[in-house]
Amino acid sequence: MTSPAARRPVRLAEASGGGRPGDAIVDVTPDGIPAGAVIGAVGAPDSAGRRFIEVVVDGWRFELLAEDAARAALRERATSTRGDEIPGGGPLEIRAIIPGRVIAVAVGPEDSVAAGDALLVVEAMKMQNELRAPRAGTVARVLVGAGSTVEVGDVLVVLG
Amino acid sequence: MRKDSGGPPIRRLLVANRGEIAVRIMRTCRDLGIETVAVYSDADVDAAHVHAADAAVRIGPAPAAASYLRADAIVAAALETGAAAIHPGYGFLSERGAFARATTDAGLVFIGPSAEAVEALGDKLAARRTARDAGVPVVPGTFEAASVDRPDALDAVVADAEGVGFPLLVKAAAGGGGRGMRRVSKVDELPAALAAGAAEAAAAFGDGAVYLERELRPARHIEVQLLGDAAGEIVALGERDCSIQRRHQKLVEESPAPSLTRGERETLHALAVKAARAARLFNAATAEFLFDAERRFWFLEVNARLQVEHGVTELVTDLDLVAEQLWIAAGEPLSDEVRRAATMAAEPSRHALEIRLSAEDPSREFAPAPGRIGVWVMPAGPGVRVDTAVAAGERIAPHYDPLIAKVMTVGPDRPGAIDRMRRALDEIVITGIQTTLPFDRAVVRDPAFLEADLSTDYVAERWDPTASRSVALSRAQGAAAQAFTTAGNSPSVGGASEASLHKDGQTGSTGWARAAREDMIDRWPR
Repeated sequence: MTSPAARRPVRLAEASGGGRPGDAIVDVTPDGIPAGAVIGAVGAPDSAGRRFIEVVVDGWRFELLAEDAARAALRERATSTRGDEIPGGGPLEIRAIIPGRVIAVAVGPEDSVAAGDALLVVEAMKMQNELRAPRAGTVARVLVGAGSTVEVGDVLVVLG
Repeated sequence: MRKDSGGPPIRRLLVANRGEIAVRIMRTCRDLGIETVAVYSDADVDAAHVHAADAAVRIGPAPAAASYLRADAIVAAALETGAAAIHPGYGFLSERGAFARATTDAGLVFIGPSAEAVEALGDKLAARRTARDAGVPVVPGTFEAASVDRPDALDAVVADAEGVGFPLLVKAAAGGGGRGMRRVSKVDELPAALAAGAAEAAAAFGDGAVYLERELRPARHIEVQLLGDAAGEIVALGERDCSIQRRHQKLVEESPAPSLTRGERETLHALAVKAARAARLFNAATAEFLFDAERRFWFLEVNARLQVEHGVTELVTDLDLVAEQLWIAAGEPLSDEVRRAATMAAEPSRHALEIRLSAEDPSREFAPAPGRIGVWVMPAGPGVRVDTAVAAGERIAPHYDPLIAKVMTVGPDRPGAIDRMRRALDEIVITGIQTTLPFDRAVVRDPAFLEADLSTDYVAERWDPTASRSVALSRAQGAAAQAFTTAGNSPSVGGASEASLHKDGQTGSTGWARAAREDMIDRWPR
């Protein structure tokens, strides 16, 4: 079945994966939710009309940012004309990917780090998780100390 | 219940644990007419084990070191509530000799082996020496702690390492669950591995002693369930194959171990009983072995406590191991049911499986994935048992173990148990957190697992999450697009706000829940 004209394509970005490869534009068909997919939570729309949608398929959990595809195209054209929003060698925020407690910080402001250098250790669920620098740079700021409790998404270190 | 004496083995029992194991122990207590006391941290004010108990005592803030690891507070809670005995469960204080001693010194019964045996076996080096002296083959390695503090002693450790052979493992004498463990493939990695292993062991167990053990690969991890009474009689209740592990934490367990001959089973059970007898064990314990490619058994360690996976043995033998522990602790000899199960241990007539469902992301090397659970649907039906202590809407705190449920199935044979496991796993629905479910479902469909081609390298060799996850992602995108269109202009659906999708906030219930709890404790007759 093809969708009637009233249906509009939706763009989906994977919020939890953080990567572009997960993005897709999906034409909504009136077949309903695919079998085996469970819609968890559907977030309230933001000012741009985007919603976070949680879906679980075969045990895999996804947080997808859904947006009307036409609106997404318009928004992107608007932001790209502003120019300097494209990420390059600018500061990089290292964020917590799991909640837990910082047990060691290996770097301080103005330290030079190479890609792969240990930055800090976060303990969660009895496991020590080492966070490493994704690229070389100079440490601009360290926002946590040993003993700090962190939640997902908290900025831990900023690389210049 | 069973015993002719009339009353239960113990009048009131404190369970020094949390989560599914605390709930599971309390269930047996209800069966036997034993009153139960829970202990809880601030993170667990509203937890299932607290609700399952007749009384509950707060023992401290969320971190385990300030609550569930506080022997003094737990013993005090037992005395205060009039409990006659303490069951330690697994993990936390269960293998601390000092806790067993503090319990008995306070005039209470410790549900487990004697403090001396717990101490002797909690030290893996002492256990290795005991097994070796009893004539049980032990995994090749050292029998004394390596000196890591003195740089001048490093030469001796290097010489030991060369004697053991590479690759080898640096292991914590006080260890368990892979903590303090480091793999060393060549000699220059040794100093760093010793330092890191000792530091992690010191942080996790308060004891930085480490030793060396040869890495046996490929190998299967097979363990024997033991039960012994105060009079010194010890029996083996069959074995469990726990080869499928990641980071030395078990993921899948089954009993009996597939493809062992009756003769191999008898040999293994006899070795386990021999090691246990040498360590003067009683109550419940498990002897762990590696089974190598030449079909030889090598002693690893003894866990002087109830294991996480004890339910698998219960499904095969039809015993309640916690009930047996309580009768043994009350001074009873091994029951007729236990003796009967022991005689059938080499030729079991059923097969059982357990899968540990954890809050971990199997696409990111099983990294912890705590958060708040949304939908929570567990399986049921013939041959299915689920041990869990979490529910819809509950927060899986980062303070404790990521295990959220143990799914067990039993059947007349291995294929029958696997068929039921496949069905059971397909019934599970969990939203809000990533779990190991994709891995679990893949295991029970994997030809290598179905053929019982098991090894401790299984996860590295067989698990590739990429394809499975990307297929699921494209289906998820279709579903999300549909949900987005359906949602139209309506506000959030399913009770979720954007904040709860992204960042887990505090539980809103603590204030009134704590008040209710305190009220409940006040009502407890002293």
